[in-house]
Amino acid sequence: MTSLEISHLRVSFNKKVILDDLSLSVAEGQIAALLGPSGCGKTTLLRSIAGLIAPSDGTIRFGKQLVSLSSLVLPSHKRKIGYVPQEGALFPHLNVADNIAFGLDRAVFTKDQIRQITKEMLSLIGMEGFDNRAPNQLSGGQQTRVALARALAIKPAIVLFDEPFSALDAQLRTDLRADVIDLLRAHNTTAILVTHDREEALVSADTVALMREGKIIQQGSPEQVYSSPISPAIAISTGDALVLRAFKLSDGTTSYILNTQKSLAQSVETGHIVIRPEEIKIHRNLSSNSINGRIAKIDYYGHDAMIGINVEHEYLQVRIPGPFDFSIGEQVALEHIGPLRFFADGKTAI
Amino acid sequence: MNTRMQRALKLSLNSAVGMVAALSMIPLVYLFVRASDKPMGEIVQLLVRQKTLDVLTTTILMVVCVVAITLFFGVAIASGLHFVHLPLRRLLIIPTVLPLAIPSYVFTYTWIALVPSFSGFAAAVFILSLTTLPYIILVTLAGLRSVDGSQIEVARSLGLNYRQTFFRVVFPQIRGHASAGALLAGLYAMSDFGAVSLLNVETLTVSIQNMYRASYDRSAAAVISFVLIAFAVLFVIAEESIKTKSPDGQIVKTFSTKHALIRKRPLQVTVMFAVITFGVVAVVIPFYVLLTRFFSNPVGIDWRSLLTATISTITVAAIGAIIALVLSAPLGVLLSGKVTSFGRIAERTIVVGAALPGVVVGLALVSIGSKLGALYQTTLLLAFAYALLFLAKSVASMTSSLARVPNGVKEVAATFGMNQWSVVRKVIAPIAAPGIGLGTILVFLTAMKELPATLMLRPTGFETLATQIWSSTSINRFNEAAPFALILVLVAAIPSFYISRPDKADRAFI
Repeated sequence: MTSLEISHLRVSFNKKVILDDLSLSVAEGQIAALLGPSGCGKTTLLRSIAGLIAPSDGTIRFGKQLVSLSSLVLPSHKRKIGYVPQEGALFPHLNVADNIAFGLDRAVFTKDQIRQITKEMLSLIGMEGFDNRAPNQLSGGQQTRVALARALAIKPAIVLFDEPFSALDAQLRTDLRADVIDLLRAHNTTAILVTHDREEALVSADTVALMREGKIIQQGSPEQVYSSPISPAIAISTGDALVLRAFKLSDGTTSYILNTQKSLAQSVETGHIVIRPEEIKIHRNLSSNSINGRIAKIDYYGHDAMIGINVEHEYLQVRIPGPFDFSIGEQVALEHIGPLRFFADGKTAI
Repeated sequence: MNTRMQRALKLSLNSAVGMVAALSMIPLVYLFVRASDKPMGEIVQLLVRQKTLDVLTTTILMVVCVVAITLFFGVAIASGLHFVHLPLRRLLIIPTVLPLAIPSYVFTYTWIALVPSFSGFAAAVFILSLTTLPYIILVTLAGLRSVDGSQIEVARSLGLNYRQTFFRVVFPQIRGHASAGALLAGLYAMSDFGAVSLLNVETLTVSIQNMYRASYDRSAAAVISFVLIAFAVLFVIAEESIKTKSPDGQIVKTFSTKHALIRKRPLQVTVMFAVITFGVVAVVIPFYVLLTRFFSNPVGIDWRSLLTATISTITVAAIGAIIALVLSAPLGVLLSGKVTSFGRIAERTIVVGAALPGVVVGLALVSIGSKLGALYQTTLLLAFAYALLFLAKSVASMTSSLARVPNGVKEVAATFGMNQWSVVRKVIAPIAAPGIGLGTILVFLTAMKELPATLMLRPTGFETLATQIWSSTSINRFNEAAPFALILVLVAAIPSFYISRPDKADRAFI
């Protein structure tokens, strides 16, 4: 296993810039998630790391080895990359065992060694006895497992995942993802996971890189990117967020809908604050000082619920843990308990 | 709809299919009866005499050469077009498909007009390879498109270079397609009459035609026909077994990820060179010859016979296409539903019947026709021969078009209270009609180019574009043949353009 270091990478296609001066670093044994909307360039970045496309500028290093320098690239088949694309892309003409053994060079390994590695891999993914199955006899989750085993069999420097779980249904997806992450951690594998699912990125990765229009605009641990977003837009891309009008006052406080004490201070800066729905508490101790609202909607999820509340002219969404006994139409008091994230107008993109 | 009506409907459908299958067997049965007129000793003598063995050897050798050449170049060119980054890549497929519009005898004629000494075995292999190469290219391309691009990327990431990736990942998956294309090419080469005849190569088809014309010894011709039929059946069986072995049916649901195109200069140059060479030899030269012959005609064009031949060709080919459409309907309906073993047997029967070379069908129908009196020497009999010859094409387009109607749609329509007939009219027909229509047009255009059966079955004095080209060419009057050939090729080029579109390269329609 090895670290990954990308600096000033630029990829353009037919004069259209897809990756623009992009830098990313992933330490050895870490799992990094690339999170972004479709078309932001995350698959292109993954394919550049795999050596499947040639960048026009910048460098990519695997550990100390330089694999990409400007347009000089080490071809894909010499990089020792594990690549798990969407739906696995198993070879339909080969059975499970042959799929897993596909990348094992017969000039390097003996037949017995290949058989041994295949067996180990099958037990690693919990699919002993599936050797002779054809790919079309496997479920979606099993196909993804085999694709992972095929990638790991060659002991790759880095494993790349291109939305491998996106086609699976919710429960299977969660279970398989947990299994795969455990497996990668157990082997101290450096891995890059491309995803557009924010929960998947947060739950799986050691470091999350947020991509927008060919650039990484924030990188950090899941806690960092979730609790300290650099802009309201980034906040929304990592989880539910309320973006509310706010004013910075001359006495250093911030005035917004949940904090409207009469202050004599002057407004010095206008902007927005970002609040996570779980950072608002609601209760029934109504008073003349409290911020009150009326419950308009309850989305019940079992473990928690999203409560829609009308406060003055605003509609706020608040997440509260279950069980609870609020009902629609009820008056409640709201209290902001989280950090104050103020973004001044004109200084940050919304 | 009650069950008794359903059962009655099913029965009438099955009997209609049975009748079509019986019709398609007419030539085979008749030839069998005719051949058994001869005493066994004479049949054996006919089969083992030196002449027959020579002709047989020539035929086999020619088919093997054509298949080997087209398989190699076809797979190579198709793979090049699919994997290599080339300028105007999408347009490059057109010159490789356009030769489909040129019948083998027109090909031969243009080359003889250019090189008068052009003749013999090698020339025949050359011409038939040019004629059949597009089939293999198209079928292989269809196979390549079904290989998921991300499989190739995975193979590359697992340490395989391009060559290894091709042989370990791509080729095993397109093997079925390539062999199907090879069999198509082999069947075509074996059945061809025009090119080999003009080039003085005596193959089985030429032998049969000669026997029929010279001695009117139809029993002997029938015996030799059986050798040809045996080959046709072998081809069909081989194709069936390859079809079932190919992994096509078990493709895992895939995203067809676009693979990165190869940008290696030597490879790009090689592919460009191959495509351009093929385009020049198979498209530019024939058109150049046709056009120069057309414009340098000193005698002037006989507009009257050109018009008559065009109208005759269109009429008889259209009737043939309509008969094929009608005959294929019951089987198409039967196969688009739940496939019964009866339906499958009927399909095989029709496929075998339709694999018979034009010479054989012509010979059978001309012999039967002479006993039928009223039908003999009518355009209707010729049209019927076209329908029999191209029935498999018609059935294929009918089946695949009807299969495109999702079952759910029929059921939803039924919940709106539509009866069976309304469902057909308002739901099935609008969805399936374009495909069926295209299939019918392709049968029509193929029938326009048909030569050997037309020569045998046409009424006296009835000239089509094909027979006009043939009679002028066989006595080296190339200028006179040019206008007829130009019209034929230009009309036949229309569907070639159509199937060269990537989404339309459907094997069923070739």
